[in-house]
Amino acid sequence: MNASNKPLFTLTLGHLYPAQLNLYGDRGNIITLQRRCQMRGIALRVVPLGIGDALAPDEYDLLFIGGGQDREQAPVAQDIFDMKGIGLWAAVEDDMPVLAVCGGYQLLAHYYRPAVGPDMRGLGIFDAWTIHKGANVPRCIGDIAIEWNGSTLVGFENHGGRTYLGTAKPLGKVLKGHGNNSEDHSEGAVYRNAFGTYLHGSLLPKNPHFADHVLALALHRSYGLSDDDLKKIFPRYLSLEERSAQGTREKKRAAKKNGAHGAANGVIPPPIDIDDTLEWEAHASMLERLGLRNAAGAALRHR
Amino acid sequence: MGGRAAGAISRRLHLGGGTSIAGVVAQRLYPDIVTHLSSQLAYGSVLVTGTNGKTTTSGFIAAILNDAGLRVWRNREGSNLMRGIAGALVIRARPGGNLRRGGQAISIFEVDEAVVPHMVEAVPLRVAVFTNLFRDQLDRYGEVDSVSARWQRAVSVLPASTTMILNADDPAVALLAESRQDNVIYFGIEDATLDLAAQGISPERHQTIDTRACAKCGAELVYSLRFYSHLGHYLCPNCGSARPQPQVRATSVTMNAFDQLRITVETPTQQGEIVIPLPGLYNIYNALAAIAAAQALQINWEPIVSGIQQFKPAFGRGERVQVAGRTIRILLAKNPTGFNEVLRTLFSEGEKRHVLLMLNDNIADGRDISWIWDVDFERIAQQTSTLTITGTRALDLGLRLKYAGIDAQAMHIVPLTPIRAIGKEALTRPHEKETPHAGSKNGSVTGARKIRPAAKPAQTHGLAYALDSALQQTPVGETLFVIPTYTGLLDVHRELERRGLTPHYWEEKGP
Repeated sequence: MNASNKPLFTLTLGHLYPAQLNLYGDRGNIITLQRRCQMRGIALRVVPLGIGDALAPDEYDLLFIGGGQDREQAPVAQDIFDMKGIGLWAAVEDDMPVLAVCGGYQLLAHYYRPAVGPDMRGLGIFDAWTIHKGANVPRCIGDIAIEWNGSTLVGFENHGGRTYLGTAKPLGKVLKGHGNNSEDHSEGAVYRNAFGTYLHGSLLPKNPHFADHVLALALHRSYGLSDDDLKKIFPRYLSLEERSAQGTREKKRAAKKNGAHGAANGVIPPPIDIDDTLEWEAHASMLERLGLRNAAGAALRHR
Repeated sequence: MGGRAAGAISRRLHLGGGTSIAGVVAQRLYPDIVTHLSSQLAYGSVLVTGTNGKTTTSGFIAAILNDAGLRVWRNREGSNLMRGIAGALVIRARPGGNLRRGGQAISIFEVDEAVVPHMVEAVPLRVAVFTNLFRDQLDRYGEVDSVSARWQRAVSVLPASTTMILNADDPAVALLAESRQDNVIYFGIEDATLDLAAQGISPERHQTIDTRACAKCGAELVYSLRFYSHLGHYLCPNCGSARPQPQVRATSVTMNAFDQLRITVETPTQQGEIVIPLPGLYNIYNALAAIAAAQALQINWEPIVSGIQQFKPAFGRGERVQVAGRTIRILLAKNPTGFNEVLRTLFSEGEKRHVLLMLNDNIADGRDISWIWDVDFERIAQQTSTLTITGTRALDLGLRLKYAGIDAQAMHIVPLTPIRAIGKEALTRPHEKETPHAGSKNGSVTGARKIRPAAKPAQTHGLAYALDSALQQTPVGETLFVIPTYTGLLDVHRELERRGLTPHYWEEKGP
């Protein structure tokens, strides 16, 4: 693609607790980000951040945190507070894209209240909290589809806790499935460029537009790429106005790494045609299985 | 007659081989039916549980006991939930409510992890075998830890007279007997050449680990040897919990061929060589578990050797079917560890394979398919001669393989049902596909589709088509490896049977 084989951009992904929080195919999300970067001549470096590792926000361009089982989540909850809390808060306030799935999502909200035992403290990045209502209340399990930014996200959810949003905006509206709490049709949470969601399955492979969105936010933040530049790299990228529903407050920032690879605006490659047919067919077939025929058709038309 | 109809309905509903419904009805009418009937078994009952290897392990035990002259009853066909157990007994009961010829019988109950507590309460057990505990069907059972906790509760009510057979190499299993002094037999592998690191396999890249925290104190376990996933020789650096010394152990393992494993076994009373006629490291554990169970039942060495060496694999556990000059071998893979071991077995010799993968997400498979992203499909890139993908989630599996670096041209995706939103033309076969936005053509194509064409177009979906297509791509004289999930296995079997190719696998064997 690019003659020099030298990556145009380099992104560093901090992967939080890959050894503890990896229960529901979280590896699929990392693989997807890696491949989609690779196809566009972007180098994605993945740095595992385990228990005891400090999180220095300057070293990363985006962050990912997955889900685990309770036994593994408890030591993680303590560590995220002690070792990574301030770094994570700073990163989020500085508009770093953060994707948190399942247990990771719960850890970024205020607290998790188990059916028995004390509350598990979270970081409070999302103004939201999670309550487990006991073994007699069924888990939220099954295929799920939500509306997101005028398109759809599909996945699988499996969580015992119910999450309730305070001032946090939901990631999307539930079309089929349970979502945050099976009551108010909300699913996930968004604060600045941090996304929390219960969708796994894995989430990113069959939601390529969402994967690209997260990458685009990272490129915008770290390299100062304009909306027009981003649309060349990510044909489905939505500008800030286009996703005003999310309410992300944006500020023009100087390109943090300007100069590292030459002036960013000059080196945007010609649009790369990435064949996402299979991604969208998998996406559409899930919508169809959930009875959402129109959405399935729309997903295929937009690919 | 009613029972037979129920069986047919059960099979049609993908509930399993068909004995389950009889059990459901009987249990509803008489909740204590399992206790009542099982108490009439003169030689008692053996329980086999664990995530992987239940069917093969109980198959080995049954073969050994058969060769030792006992009358063996099993709940076969994988209907191993409680209703299946009840069904297996009920279909052998006389109208008067007693078992037929219970006097010479021993029964082997193969049960799902979650059923163990009910089983332990309902049936007096002579031997209880615990093979391993992996991540499997989390949507049905919750998490691995909750299954493990349930086992521990069940084990705490096991009578002291029950002999426990435990996998020493699985930390989630080995700790079950901590509270017990006697009547425990551990089995394990002691051949260091099987260590992943010794074979140059990086555990980080190629293995998923389900249990890494010490169950006693939560610290991370340290391994001196790792065979696969979390099975190996481990030690907790914090509390000192360690792998127990196994009484039944494989001290050396050589792989003669794809499906010939020669192991040297040592037990407190015997030492000898046994050839296991099945592929895969996991079958060594299954054989060791069976040997330990047989020794607990005071069976002689000869039937142990003959039972294992002449074992005929159960359906989906590597058995062979001949079709039009080709051989089909079917290898069930229902969770990431099972799948990784099947792939490791198939592709370790560097030989290119013809493969048909089938991923279903019916209830018995687990509705959540996230686990396919934890399977190391990366290792099969450039290793398949032909690759066909089918099942209810064929597209997801195709996507997984695409991201594993397998060229879309190199795989043929055949969904089970047509996807309406996708035009027939667009079904993922890039070499045949037209540009999706060829607007000028769309009108005529849509129009033409409304009229049923005189010559029916070739079907491009469904298992029959997938199987035909995979077989056609497999040259005469070569082998097609079919790797399905659980209900996929039932579907494949039904399809082969429709073609007159296999016996009914739920038919009772023996006199």
